[in-house]
Amino acid sequence: MHKLTENILDKISIDFLRNQVLKNAYGNDDTVIAGLDPRILLVWYLFFGLVPWFMNDLVLLLCFFLFVVMTTRAARIAPLVLVLFCVGVFTQTGYLFIAALFFGGNTGTIVPLLVMTLKVAVVSLASITVFSGLDPDRLASGLLWYGCPGQLSFSISFAYRILPVLMEEFQNILLSYRMRGNPPDKSTFFGKIRYLGYQIKLIIQSFYPLMLNTAKRSRTTVEALELRGYRYSLQNPAVKRMKLAMLKVTRNDVIFVCVSAVWVAVSFILSAGLSNVI
Amino acid sequence: MSAVEIKNLTFTYPGAKEPILKNVSLEIEEGDFLAVVGNNGCGKSTLCKTLNGLIPHFILGDMEGEVRIEGVSTKEQEIGTLAKKVGYVYQDFENQIVCPTVLEDASYACLNYAMEDYEEKGREALEICGLASKVGDYVWQLSGGQKHLLALAGTAALSPDILILDEPIAQLDPMHAGRIYDILKELNEKYHKTVIVIEHHTGYIAKYCKNVLLMKDGGVKWKLSAKEGLRRVDELLESNIFPPQVTRAALQMKRAGILPESVVLPVDIEDGKKVFAPYLKETGPFRRETAESRASERKLENGGKLVSFDNVTVTYRAVKGEPPKIFDNFSLEIRKGEKIALIGSNGAGKSTMLKLMMGLIRPGVGRVTIRGKETGSISKEELGKTISMVYQNPEEMFIMDSIRRDVEYAMKVRKVENYEKRTDELLEMFRLTDLADRDGRLLSGGQMRRASLAIGIALNPEMLLLDEPTANLDIATRREIMKTLQMLKGITDTVVIATHDMQLVCDWAERIIVLSSGYVIADGPKEQIFADMYVRSQVGIRPPEIYDMGRELGILKPCFTIDEFIGCFGGGQNA
Repeated sequence: MHKLTENILDKISIDFLRNQVLKNAYGNDDTVIAGLDPRILLVWYLFFGLVPWFMNDLVLLLCFFLFVVMTTRAARIAPLVLVLFCVGVFTQTGYLFIAALFFGGNTGTIVPLLVMTLKVAVVSLASITVFSGLDPDRLASGLLWYGCPGQLSFSISFAYRILPVLMEEFQNILLSYRMRGNPPDKSTFFGKIRYLGYQIKLIIQSFYPLMLNTAKRSRTTVEALELRGYRYSLQNPAVKRMKLAMLKVTRNDVIFVCVSAVWVAVSFILSAGLSNVI
Repeated sequence: MSAVEIKNLTFTYPGAKEPILKNVSLEIEEGDFLAVVGNNGCGKSTLCKTLNGLIPHFILGDMEGEVRIEGVSTKEQEIGTLAKKVGYVYQDFENQIVCPTVLEDASYACLNYAMEDYEEKGREALEICGLASKVGDYVWQLSGGQKHLLALAGTAALSPDILILDEPIAQLDPMHAGRIYDILKELNEKYHKTVIVIEHHTGYIAKYCKNVLLMKDGGVKWKLSAKEGLRRVDELLESNIFPPQVTRAALQMKRAGILPESVVLPVDIEDGKKVFAPYLKETGPFRRETAESRASERKLENGGKLVSFDNVTVTYRAVKGEPPKIFDNFSLEIRKGEKIALIGSNGAGKSTMLKLMMGLIRPGVGRVTIRGKETGSISKEELGKTISMVYQNPEEMFIMDSIRRDVEYAMKVRKVENYEKRTDELLEMFRLTDLADRDGRLLSGGQMRRASLAIGIALNPEMLLLDEPTANLDIATRREIMKTLQMLKGITDTVVIATHDMQLVCDWAERIIVLSSGYVIADGPKEQIFADMYVRSQVGIRPPEIYDMGRELGILKPCFTIDEFIGCFGGGQNA
């Protein structure tokens, strides 16, 4: 038991979180999904992020669900994100579904709940595939192509650069608090709760020094951006064209679109066929 | 033609009472390699910012006079036009890297200025800066030294005719520092760039720079050739710049009558050899070294065991691919009362070792124990009573909004009796009383460092770990920090410092541990470490210049200070 709690505690350390976030942002840039053209993927997302809301057919949703599970797998999403996804879906509708199962719900109550859960799951997994599987920089280029302002795509790309720096600094600040702090005794049950509260308080407090430090370092960044022509790039359409020149539809994109289309078509046929049988 | 012409330049920051630059007139020739020296706050950085147009176009303030770059006034040029002529690498270079990957950042400026071959230009710049193998990497995968090279590459990609670097080697180990300067030299000689560095390591100025400019109180005192400038020992010392040790030694000897008046002061070891050799009196004996090392050995046996590493293996969580192994079967003991310097090139495992002692990282295999207790099993709060760590970046130690509250925080929450009195004492001891109500982040580098030390020892820990305590400090402030370390005697008697600063190592450490890719390759007193050429070549450590000078002259007794060196000359009256 002691081993187990230790093991779990080890897993949710800040260091672990940091690693997971980094893994998610930088660790899967060589997957099939990451190699796709972001413009194609955004259109794909438009379909899988919107259409499921308007469908109520269980078979169809199940087929969609299977498909996005596969794309998520192909994108090699970090486990943490998947855990968050499961917790998210469960707290949204999943718990109702289970409650209904246990308290004598019949198919009349279960099917709508299952449909709802599947909808949320499909949309979430599609989002995870696109936004987590795609290299943020490419995502930014994709958005830029569709006419989003240059500032937005720069913000995404810059966040991608600064993320590891911030995580490391946050970890150090949190450590400063912990090393110098005096936590409540955690031997009793109430002590444990107080200890948890104390930890949460530290995490919240750590954000203040982090923000101040970031403000301090941004002085240089702002000057450097000016020197490095950021302002000019926003005004010059040629820069946008050059930036987007790297976006190319490749054979993989075509295959991906075809597979998606075929899968969707087959799903529709299957669901139509099954509803005829029933 | 002059690359830069400054005429009667006066600049005042908004809200400041006095101008930071006062009536500066200056000419910098094309193809110069100029070092700008001067004490903190004398306007060096401000002067450099007037060259690339940040002043007056971006930083507002009151500017009089004129700055001409290649004959055209900066007022008449846009920042964008100027940026292609004048490149600037900041002292906090990390913050000027804005893209996630290496190639993107190197070509970023070229892309922004709509140069069609931007990627090619970025690649070329990376090639020159020796980062060709890192083209596809993410920025966070680079070491500190490599990031600096990237910042340089990102600036050089625009191929400006003038390159300005603000303290380029402050955070680097000697090997990487040498590399940066070699690259700058190549840019200067092969690509005919004008290079301007703000620098206070006079050893590098002597070796690489052509001219040197001394600034004082917002004005230009003089601009001379590097050798001539460095010989003006007194004027430099007045501005807290320490000329090369060889030069200072020669001047002292001249004044003591050991060297004749007519001797021209040497500025590097090459010169020094010619100057000193005829006057050398004795080259031996060897006795002192062995006696001293024996003394420190005795000391090792006396103290009790405090920390021990037993067969520790550490692997980091990898973002991609195989987890990297930092330590493999690493064992080490630290005894009470030891003064240890931990040296090794960037990435050798110094920080990992400190983190292991703090229980921040747990070894995959093996044990790290403090007084027989495993560090991982002791809570951080408990550990805080025994060990304290001062980070390399003092900003991360400031968790409250004033120095006083930061210093008292740990004592207050732990309900230490009379904590107010102790806080006052600490503030007094570190000369922070006047700054007590200011936010730590807004202090100067040296003040921040003192404050972080005060915070670190507030709880009277038995052991203190310092990560690069003298990085980014000018030499006067470094001396001050060393003095502070001496003050710790009696309170905190075990200290471990991870550092690149060999002067600090020589003046202070009793035991030196040399790490190289996760292994202890040498462990012993300074006499032994610096004499070991193999170790020196492995990790690129560089002893103080005076030590090498002594060796070069064939003096057998190792000289770590100027006085020791002078002792080898002139015989009796001085020793």
